Amino acid sequence: MVFQDHKRSVNKVCFHTIEPHILLSGSQDGTMKCFDLRKKEASSTFYSLSESVRDVKFSPHHYFLFAAVQENGNVQIWDMRRTDRYEKQFTAHTGPVFTCDWHPEERRWLATGGRDKTIKIWDLSMKPMVEHCIQTIASVARIKWRPQQKFHIASCSLVIDFTINVWDIRRPFVPLAAFNEHKDVSTGFAWHHEPHIILSTSKDSTLYLHVFKDAIRPADHANPIGLDISCYGDISYAASNKIVRNGRSSFKGESYSSTKLPVFFRKHPSASDQFRSAVSSIFVFKNDGDKFLSMTWFIESARRYILSGRSFAELCEHNASVASDLQRPHVAQTWRILKLLYNAVPNLGAEHSWGVPSVGSISEMLKGIERDEAFDNSQEGSKSSRHNSGNTFKNRHQSGSKQSSRHVSGGTGNGVATTDRPDTSGATDNSTDSEESDNDKTITNIASGLGNTQGDFFFGDGETDQLMGFQCTLSQAPTIDSAQDWNLPGEAFQPRHPIKDCSPPPELDNAPSSPTSFDEDYIETKSMVGINGEVYDYTKLLMTPEVPSSPAWVFNDVIVDMLHYFAAQGDVQMCVSVLLVLGERFKGFVDETTQEQWFHSYIEILSCFQLWNVANKVISLSTISSISSLNQQSTTIHTLCGNCRRQMTRIGWFCDRCKIMPTQCSVCHQAVRGLYAWCQGCAHGGHLQHIQEWLQYHPWCPTGCGHLCEYT
Amino acid sequence: MVSLEQTVDTSHEDMIHDAQMDYYGTRLATCSSDQSVKIFDVKNGTQKLVADLREHEGPVWQVAWAHPMFGNILASCSYDRKVVLWKETGGEWKKIYVHISHDSSVNSICWAPHDLGLMLACGSSDGAVSILSSSGDGNWDTKKINNAHTIGCNAVSWGPAVAPGSLIDQPLGQKPQLIKRFVTGGCDNLVKIWKYVDDEDRWVEEQKLEAHSDWVRDVAWAPSIGLPHSIIASCSQDRRVIIWKNDGTDSTWNYKVLHTFDDVVWHASWSVTGNVLAVSGGDNKVSLWRETLDGQWVCISDNHKSQVTRNTVSSERTL
Repeated sequence: MVFQDHKRSVNKVCFHTIEPHILLSGSQDGTMKCFDLRKKEASSTFYSLSESVRDVKFSPHHYFLFAAVQENGNVQIWDMRRTDRYEKQFTAHTGPVFTCDWHPEERRWLATGGRDKTIKIWDLSMKPMVEHCIQTIASVARIKWRPQQKFHIASCSLVIDFTINVWDIRRPFVPLAAFNEHKDVSTGFAWHHEPHIILSTSKDSTLYLHVFKDAIRPADHANPIGLDISCYGDISYAASNKIVRNGRSSFKGESYSSTKLPVFFRKHPSASDQFRSAVSSIFVFKNDGDKFLSMTWFIESARRYILSGRSFAELCEHNASVASDLQRPHVAQTWRILKLLYNAVPNLGAEHSWGVPSVGSISEMLKGIERDEAFDNSQEGSKSSRHNSGNTFKNRHQSGSKQSSRHVSGGTGNGVATTDRPDTSGATDNSTDSEESDNDKTITNIASGLGNTQGDFFFGDGETDQLMGFQCTLSQAPTIDSAQDWNLPGEAFQPRHPIKDCSPPPELDNAPSSPTSFDEDYIETKSMVGINGEVYDYTKLLMTPEVPSSPAWVFNDVIVDMLHYFAAQGDVQMCVSVLLVLGERFKGFVDETTQEQWFHSYIEILSCFQLWNVANKVISLSTISSISSLNQQSTTIHTLCGNCRRQMTRIGWFCDRCKIMPTQCSVCHQAVRGLYAWCQGCAHGGHLQHIQEWLQYHPWCPTGCGHLCEYT
Repeated sequence: MVSLEQTVDTSHEDMIHDAQMDYYGTRLATCSSDQSVKIFDVKNGTQKLVADLREHEGPVWQVAWAHPMFGNILASCSYDRKVVLWKETGGEWKKIYVHISHDSSVNSICWAPHDLGLMLACGSSDGAVSILSSSGDGNWDTKKINNAHTIGCNAVSWGPAVAPGSLIDQPLGQKPQLIKRFVTGGCDNLVKIWKYVDDEDRWVEEQKLEAHSDWVRDVAWAPSIGLPHSIIASCSQDRRVIIWKNDGTDSTWNYKVLHTFDDVVWHASWSVTGNVLAVSGGDNKVSLWRETLDGQWVCISDNHKSQVTRNTVSSERTL
């Protein structure tokens, strides 16, 4: 049986849901025809009054109703009994509507899909209203409600997308399931009377029978977590509620507090609910001084470090105090050691050679401190027996930094105090049982003489009780007069104050060594013991009046190592600051490329924190040409010709248009060499002095152009 | 130490897939399945919606901020196979370019180091990686690596432009050659390093790193600050995070398993200085990791379990 009633191609046909012999067709000629298969011709014709009818669908709920969708974006609801006019018409899509489907159970719902890449669910009970809208990625060619699943609808695309997507209309953004076996666009599909099997055809000449459980679930592959660390060490963290629900605690960290769980999940939702209710919570964890992530030290150091303009020793001392203010003892130590090393070189002559072993251990020592910190850190919490609280930890640090200051003060001030540590460690090594009685005497000696002050001064509160346990030793020097004994406390106080005079006091120059107390524990943790023997030897050397000329120690390599160590720690600030402060003293030891990279990284991080002034200072202090030229880039000043007021493009001082040099002084009419004061408003100017004088008495431009120039 | 925690009300209607802070740490860009990209000002514990960008027709997977020297530019990539570039001009965000060259969802995007100019790498489920670069006059060139990962590419991350190795054999005073390199992770369980060969004008696979036993979910190349070695972190569906290290002297990459977590690990992210790694996964935990001097990776955020547990308990009680 062939019906040839339509003038143009027929887009869609549809059987009546109840009467098997009634067939409806929608055609490109803009009409719909209803056929009774028992008759030879169309029984009725409906005129849509549009260019073409794309789809027709009988309502499964109402015997006479059918929907027709049009090329022009309209949807019409017709009653079969009335051929002259539609019951309802509304514009559903911008552009053609390609497909529609009545909901099998929900009487009110009609779904439509169109070239505007959307699937819309309409509520037709009253005035047609969009209930849900699904945005897809391509023109929607076919849609079909999934049997027995009220909220599920399948769709395929006309172009681009070859997959068949099944959507949950309550989550209109991500397909619930997708079948993407086809290699070309899908031309049609049908549910196999039950919700788990779907048949599809495609332009790639294949027909697939998909089982629902094999479908790809795009939502499951979607990343439920977002994470980022900002330059301040703040962490932004987005997590889907599914994750939040599973996980309980959100973030573990010293200075980060945990997440509040969203309140709306108390019952355990079913699988389909789980798909639907996808919401995320997003948190910004403010960093309040987490030791490793916080950049407060960086910002503070950047602001407060002084890199030029004072004497080398002052710079070092200042930067050291900045570092110790910021609870960074090993950085402070480094600054002080630098001061000691480089300041000592010209003054102390051969004396710097005694520093060999102790300074050689600087990097060792620094690492020791680091290790110690790390150790403390990992041990805190679990091993409370050792350090009851962070407080003790802090005290240790304080004592550490104070000791270091003592150490350095000696180095810069005179030879005496500096030698004390190696000296005593040597002594400790050599102390035998028989000497112990002597040592005991020393303790009492010190306790009566300077023990009190020293104890308070050198050690934090937490360690004062340990003072009793100190093994205070006398140096190898057999005789020590009381005068020297009394000299020491005075010097011990000095590190608190910057030492102005860096040359060694002459009367102490040859003083071999002095008694002192020290924390043996400290030495141990700083792994100083290993070099004791060497030190000891040297102490003896010092005592001899004639110091044999030993080869000058080239400590620059150690500094290079140290800089690399800081770079490895992520502290490029230190690398750059040290390079800048050392300046000429340390030229050529780190290759320029590395330096350049450090500078670049440092400037980059500085600009992260919007520390432009610091960055600029660093740039201008740099001796590397590629760095120091950085702040001369991308600042363009356009000059205007005062005569024609056009921008001078080719050369900044010659107007191509007027063929004059507009650099004449408007007051004295001479060409200006040197400073040329210039009004940006009217482009006139002249000698700075002339303009200044002029504007003192006149508010307007000296050329008489009428512009009220302003001199600020 | 009292810490301030801020919950950002994004009013996204669906799952959020990415949240990125800008260069200065003052703005937060989020993207969601609801097809929108939102930008918030998050200064001083407050938040303000700056822009709600709707152009995508599918879930938006990732956002990425370009270096501010190019202006305020944000890129977003989506299930709809598009990458959209947004720019703020005069306080208003507008799309400046839509990059359509993939046949499937674009999963990951990453801006190249600023020394290389405006350049964006995009990894897609179609297995390809495309590299978008600005020619400066508003036009964009596209290069494509087809079949970079079979089944699909999940993550891209650029390496530093100044390669660590170049410092060693570089003659003094000569500007170091800028190196274009990035790392990708894919559904073939592989991590691959790609390098641009100037002479041939194409991208070649430089390294194939095999260790994961399931999809690689994220890769992150640590920012380098003058160090001789390169470090890459990769995390996977196999619940592991792996740290790949190249010492800069040859082309061998050694790996170390950072940790095996209880759930899929979705994200790894480095701090600005490159010495702290943040990791988060399906167990709703963010942990911070740091390398000790002897080369061990330790979790530095787990020390204070007691405090957090307490907080969590109390928040549960309030439910």
